[in-house]
Amino acid sequence: MSLATLARRGSHGATSPERTDSDVPAKPSKAATPRQDAPPGGLAERLSLASSACAVLALVCGWMLLQLLVLGGLSHTRDQTLLYSKFRSELAQATAPTGELDYNGNPVQPGAPVALLTIPAIGLQQVVVDGTASGDLTAGPGHLRDTPLPGQAGWSWVFGRGSIDGAPFHKIADLAKGDTASVRTGQGLVDYTVVDVRRAGDPVPALPAGSGGGLLTLVTADSRGFLSALRASAPVYVDLTTDKALTDGPVAGAVPSSELVMARDTSGLPILTLLLALLTGLVLAITAARRHFRAALVWLVSTPVVIALAWAATDQVTRLLPNLM
Amino acid sequence: MTRPVRAALLAALAVAMSIAVPSFAPIGAYASTSHHAQPTKVGRSARVSVPGCTAEYGVTSRDSDSWSATEPVERTFGDGTPDTTSCIHLEVNKHTNLQDHERIDVTWSGAHPTAGRALNPFGETGLEQEYPVLLMQCRGIDPKDDPKVSAKQEVTPDTCWTNTYFERTASADPGLGIWQQEADATDADTAHISGIDPAKIPDECNVTSTFDYHITPFQAANGTLYPGCSSQSMPPEATVNSVSIPQEASAFTNLHGDGQFEFDPRTNLDNASLGCSSTVPCTLEAIPIDGINCAPGNASQACNATGQLPAGQVNPGSAPQDAVAPAFWWSASNWERRIPVPLTFAPPPGVCQAASAGKPVPFYGSELLSQAALQWTPAYCQNKKRFNWQDNIIPDQAAVALMTNGSAASAEVSSRQANDDDIDYAPTAVTGWGIGFDIDKPGNAGQQLTINLDARLLAKLLTESYPGSVAVEQAHPGFSHNPLSLNLDPEFEKLNPGLDTAHWSENAAALMNLSTSSGVITQLTSYIAADPSAMAFLHGQPDHWGMRVNPFYKNVKLPVSTWPLLDTWVDKTTNNPCLQAAPTAYMPLIASPVSSLRLVATALLYSWPLVTTGCTGNGTTTSPFQLSRAAPEGLGNRFILGLITLGDAKRYDLTVANLQASPGHYVAADDAGLSAAVKLAKPGPKLKPFELSQKAIRKSKTAYPGTSIVYTAAKTSGLPKATAADVAQFIKVSSTEGQVAGRGNGELPDGYLPITKSGPTRRLFAQSQKAAAAIAAQKASPQQASPGSSAGAPPSSSTGPDIPLPSAGTTTPPVPSPEIAPTDGSSPTQSGTVTAALSSPVGGSLLPVLLLLGIAAGAVTGGSRYWLRKQGLK
Repeated sequence: MSLATLARRGSHGATSPERTDSDVPAKPSKAATPRQDAPPGGLAERLSLASSACAVLALVCGWMLLQLLVLGGLSHTRDQTLLYSKFRSELAQATAPTGELDYNGNPVQPGAPVALLTIPAIGLQQVVVDGTASGDLTAGPGHLRDTPLPGQAGWSWVFGRGSIDGAPFHKIADLAKGDTASVRTGQGLVDYTVVDVRRAGDPVPALPAGSGGGLLTLVTADSRGFLSALRASAPVYVDLTTDKALTDGPVAGAVPSSELVMARDTSGLPILTLLLALLTGLVLAITAARRHFRAALVWLVSTPVVIALAWAATDQVTRLLPNLM
Repeated sequence: MTRPVRAALLAALAVAMSIAVPSFAPIGAYASTSHHAQPTKVGRSARVSVPGCTAEYGVTSRDSDSWSATEPVERTFGDGTPDTTSCIHLEVNKHTNLQDHERIDVTWSGAHPTAGRALNPFGETGLEQEYPVLLMQCRGIDPKDDPKVSAKQEVTPDTCWTNTYFERTASADPGLGIWQQEADATDADTAHISGIDPAKIPDECNVTSTFDYHITPFQAANGTLYPGCSSQSMPPEATVNSVSIPQEASAFTNLHGDGQFEFDPRTNLDNASLGCSSTVPCTLEAIPIDGINCAPGNASQACNATGQLPAGQVNPGSAPQDAVAPAFWWSASNWERRIPVPLTFAPPPGVCQAASAGKPVPFYGSELLSQAALQWTPAYCQNKKRFNWQDNIIPDQAAVALMTNGSAASAEVSSRQANDDDIDYAPTAVTGWGIGFDIDKPGNAGQQLTINLDARLLAKLLTESYPGSVAVEQAHPGFSHNPLSLNLDPEFEKLNPGLDTAHWSENAAALMNLSTSSGVITQLTSYIAADPSAMAFLHGQPDHWGMRVNPFYKNVKLPVSTWPLLDTWVDKTTNNPCLQAAPTAYMPLIASPVSSLRLVATALLYSWPLVTTGCTGNGTTTSPFQLSRAAPEGLGNRFILGLITLGDAKRYDLTVANLQASPGHYVAADDAGLSAAVKLAKPGPKLKPFELSQKAIRKSKTAYPGTSIVYTAAKTSGLPKATAADVAQFIKVSSTEGQVAGRGNGELPDGYLPITKSGPTRRLFAQSQKAAAAIAAQKASPQQASPGSSAGAPPSSSTGPDIPLPSAGTTTPPVPSPEIAPTDGSSPTQSGTVTAALSSPVGGSLLPVLLLLGIAAGAVTGGSRYWLRKQGLK
């Protein structure tokens, strides 16, 4: 709350182009007569205050939506491009991981690419990263680390976001029985067939028998009804099977609770606190600067920093949200 | 040599051999009606009589599965040469309840020494010899074994398997075929075409009137007749240069008349056309090639030939003479001398996959148990009172993860696992791992049957410290003082004198190893870690002869559960076009580990190294460069080693090295070595695994270091009642009737030490009985109910209670049902398991709330601004 107040005072007029115009004496104001500050104590002052508060609120909401739905998508696309080239070179060098241990025998780092998932029916091609914490899924679909890698024998799980940060798994609930998907890992290419889309109450399919039996479960969150594209309330599972799965490699013994279905990751809270403090400091600095320098100059210098800090802070906020959103 | 060239060569040979030989009027019959039959000891007819040698088939032993026979053999000559006789005694070490590829050790004495030894005796490459003993698998029962056999079940040359048509088809100038000069040849034999109905010969066989032909067609199990006169007219399993090597072999007899060969029988799993199975009996025919019988007065050089190749030595490159060549095994003289070993086969592994066997209850775990599982499985699914036990091979840790989360009823592990408070371990098998080897003595002196190895030699092999070739020795850092391959290492020579020290190869530079995680690798590396001299070597200290560890592996940390491939050296000066096109780390190509120990056993079975430093293709898009596997090693020149399970070693008759226990004492992987090691095992805490430390073994003179105890691990709380009963039943059955040594269903195969009530394994027996009771009772204090413990959850051992995974809270047995083909078209499901409901208010409402709040706040701001402005205020 103090932040909002500070923002209101500090960035007084930032949300109002008219104010900015009127602050610049060299530019003639559009208004015929110069407007005055509301007299203190009256209804007008309280309204003015409420207006500014609402403006800040609208700004924060708008920024969040922009970040989650648009800028997050950009960031996701960039991450995917980088991951794709990294994974491609690992495949070429045959150093792509075949389990939870990498080429050198060290544990695979969360966020490292482990597989390439292609589902032609919904036009999906994503590099799957290792780890399913909220932060890992920002870059792309994540592999649940205590299950075999996709393409390997056994039951593998891949989580993906359904509504924000590029929403790679937005359409997986549209898949129908018989649709095909393929997974490329360091061990080769494995083709899967969709068994069904599964929600609460639906039967869990069996692991195909035999040494080559593989079940791949894709998980995201969605809902049905009004604004369903924005509402990721319940997990939805898509099961795919293959009978030509490859030998499984080592799996992680256990994963932290932040990597489970619909889990949140609070590990970013310290950084978020730091970023919010920096943002507060920046607001104070802008307010102070406004008294000494021209507004245009101040905004020119501070806007990129504000955006960067806001972006970084929102990224940390995203980690606090359920990982399948 | 390509097929057409070889075919042409054979045809030319046949022509050359029969030229200038007058055609001979045939007498007698092709098929064995004999004019001087004599009753033998076992009442069968034989056409020859050799003083002091009586035909006798089927002498068996009460203690083992062995079988032996005696066959008098006589060759008659037509040119005045005195007839030769011999008395062949043949013995096999097993002949009943065989599994696919379960090798039979065949030994014989009294046979004619083989001349012009072929290094590769299998299939067509074995034909270039004189006087070998041809071993082949035929469908049916031999009348020599059972005179009452029906014509339908009788073995004939037509039911004998060969891999190529060269072994079935012969051609010669009219009247000059060696088969036409047989003493017993009939009109049918001297005809233009014999052995097959001419109407059944397909066009592609190019049968012309210029030559006479004998064609032995192949009668497949399903009734199809394959003419066998061209590669197209052979059964589909007859493939050349395929993964599997040919089955029939022309085996070598040494100058004393003795021979030994490991014959590889195959069931209908591998060869459906031959079709041997638990219901279709087959016969191993050993046909000593002793020469065509010529009729008195037939002085033709070809018929009376006695061979031109050097006896007991490798073929210098000449062709054998027809009269003593294995290509004519079907001729009356050769066929009549056959020694028929009756074979019966065990039920195939798939017998329990039939829907009628009931829903399988999967156990997951160590490959060490796989050979026992092969015999144990049918004893469960074929007994109505028992559940359908299913054994699946996966790494120990993964098996425990599946068991912990409920996807598996039980895990078969060979060591203690983490977080096992509510898990009990029932000892199920005492077995182990070993270093299998195919090593031949120099100078065709036969196979080396024992070698001694110590931990440092294993460390040298595993760390890829042998260069394998001079080029690598010179270019690779740190290899300048290292012997080129294991057989040139003075340490190895000191332990194993008398082996080949003249050659080197990449095959002898590495140990065929496992690429995946396994308890076996943990135990192998613990063995190395317990040996101070091996660890000093790994830390960079040279051995007495100056050999140093591969620098990439210096200070490698042991033990590990997956052997790391650390050498990243790329040979920049290589001549190999594949590596020039795509530079790759070189030493891992020599090591070339595989995904299961069974594959290593198969590689040893075929003497086929895993080294993949070869190169095929020419770099074009149609034929890109591809690294290729080395060729199988020729018999007589073999030198490869691999890590295998003792179960596989015994099943496939592979030789296993003695490993050093206490310094200077090398212990064989036999029952004595295993029981000595079991005696050293210290009981763990309550119903936890015994502790078998390599430190204790290093103090023993008799304990085999590769000993492992495999445990059935299961939860003592939270298991559904039915599953708990199944696991307890398995432990009880496997620790009692499953520990009776034998080759039948439910019995314990070789390579496993029986766990018994008394003797060195009594403590193991006692623990398994207690564990069975504890698991059946399920009375351990239940752990905090975690969603991971229910069916349908992904394997996860730490789950937050506030974030339930799918399908939490079911009470049905956590057993994924098998893929039994659904008849109603519905998908198979995990019995009764449904997806759990789970919802997230934040996830569901955050974005709409943000949107609505933003719009509302924006509207308020806009409205109030508009009003204020109207008032003329800021």
